[in-house]
Amino acid sequence: MAWRFLLAILLGGVCYLDRTAACQLMLHRPLVVATLMGAVFGNMAAGAQVGIVLELIYLARLPVGASIPPDDTGAAVFGGSAAAVASSSIGLDAGSFTALLLLSVLVAEAGKAADRFVRKVNVRIARLTAESVDRGDVQAVEHGLLAGLTLFAVTGMVLTLAFSGAGVAVSAELLPRFGPASRGNFAILLPALPLLGAASVYSCSRTERTAAVFFLTMAAVFGGTLLFRWSA
Amino acid sequence: MTTPALATRSRSAVWRRQFLLQGCWNYEGMQNVGFAYAILPALRDFYANRPEEALKAVKRHLEFFNTQPAMGALILGASVRLEERVAAGEADPRAIGTFKVGLMGSLGAIGDSFFWGALRPMASVAGALLALLHPLLGIAAMLLVYNGVHLTLRRRGFAAGMEGPEGVVGWLKRAALNVRTDDGKLLAAILAGAYAGVFAGRFFVQGGNTLHALASLLLAAAAVHLFAVLFRKAVSPSEILSFLLFVGVLILWR
Repeated sequence: MAWRFLLAILLGGVCYLDRTAACQLMLHRPLVVATLMGAVFGNMAAGAQVGIVLELIYLARLPVGASIPPDDTGAAVFGGSAAAVASSSIGLDAGSFTALLLLSVLVAEAGKAADRFVRKVNVRIARLTAESVDRGDVQAVEHGLLAGLTLFAVTGMVLTLAFSGAGVAVSAELLPRFGPASRGNFAILLPALPLLGAASVYSCSRTERTAAVFFLTMAAVFGGTLLFRWSA
Repeated sequence: MTTPALATRSRSAVWRRQFLLQGCWNYEGMQNVGFAYAILPALRDFYANRPEEALKAVKRHLEFFNTQPAMGALILGASVRLEERVAAGEADPRAIGTFKVGLMGSLGAIGDSFFWGALRPMASVAGALLALLHPLLGIAAMLLVYNGVHLTLRRRGFAAGMEGPEGVVGWLKRAALNVRTDDGKLLAAILAGAYAGVFAGRFFVQGGNTLHALASLLLAAAAVHLFAVLFRKAVSPSEILSFLLFVGVLILWR
C-alpha cells in the first residue's frame, strides 16, 4: 500500500500545481484526478465514475479575482481512492458511491481552507521578495517564485496524502460498518448528484437561449435513451 | 539611446515563464511576483549594462497585478514591447503601469467569461460524456478541447502583445472573444442537457410506461431548474451537497 500512497502523492503534487500555480492545463480536474487515483488504488473505472459526477458539480463556482472555489481536486483525490478501495472490498454499490460523493464535500471545503492558508503565506513571500529587490537583489524574484511554487507543491502533496488516506480509511473502515441495506437507502439521493452537475454548467453558461437548448437537448437524449432501452 | 534587442532565447524564456504567472499568487499583490518573474529575461536584455534601471523596472512589475492567467500572455507580450521603448527612452516608464492596470481588469473579465464560463464547462461536459464510454477517451477529449483553444489563444495573444499595445487592440477585435464566449456557452448548455438526459434516463426510468417516463423527465428537469435557481441566489454547490449529506445521515439514522 505504501508505494500506492507514494505514487498518489507525486501525481497529486503535479495536479495541485496545475490547479493554481502552474500551467492550468486542466490536469487538476476531477475527471483526471479521480481516474488517476482510481488507477493508483487498484480500479481506474471506479475512480472515473466518481470523476464523471464530480467534474461538473463545482463548475458554478468560478475562480474569479480573490475568490477561491471549493477544492474539487481534493474531492476527486478522496473520491477516486475511496471508490477504488471500496470496489475491491465491499463493492461499489449505489449507496456507497453516493456516500463517497457526498462525503467529498467535507474534503473540498478543507482543501479550500488550505488553499487560503497557502495564499496568506505567499503574502509573506511576496513581501520578502519586494524587500530583497529594494536592497538591489533582482534574483530574489526568481527565488520568491520558486518558494511560492514549492509551497503550492508541498501543500498539494500533503493534501493528497491526507485525502487519499481519508478515502482509504472511509472505504476500509467506515462503509463496511453499515450493512448493504443501510447503504442501499443512501442511494435514493444519487440521482440528484449528476443533475446538480448539469445545473452547475447550466447556471454558468447562461445566455438568452441556454434554457431552451438545455431542456430540449435533455428531453431529446432522455427520449433517445428510452427508445434504445425499449427496443433492446 | 540604443537598446539591445530582445534575444530569441529571452523571448522564449518569457513565453515559457508566463505559465508560472500564478506561481506565488498572494492576497496582496496577487500575480505580481509571477509577472515580474516572467518578464525578467527581457528586462535583463534591455537593461544589460544599467543595473539601477533594471532594478527600477523589476520594481515596476512587482506592483499589484491580477488577470485571467491565459489572458496574461497578451499583457505580458505588450509589456515587453513597452519596456523596450522605455529602455530606448521612447516612452515614459509610468505608461507601463497605466497600460497594465487599464487592461488587466477588462481582459480579466473577458478571460474569466470565456475560459471559466464557456470553454472549461464545454470541455468538462464533453469529457464527462465521453468518459461514460471509456475514462481515457473522456480525459483525452477534455484536455484536447480545452488546451487546443487555451494554448492557441495564449500563443496568438503573446505574439499580438509583442507587436506592441496597438497590436493588442487589433487582436482583441479579430479574436472576437465575446462571440466565441456566447457560442461556447451555448455548446456547453447543449452538452450539459445531453449529460442530464443520459443520467435522467439511467436513474429515473424503472417502470417502462410512457407516463412514468414523462413524469421522470419532468422531475429531473425540475430538479435542474431548482438547483440553478439556488445557484442564482448565491447558494454554493457545497451547501447543497452538505444538505444532501445531512439528509443522507437522517436516512441512515432512521
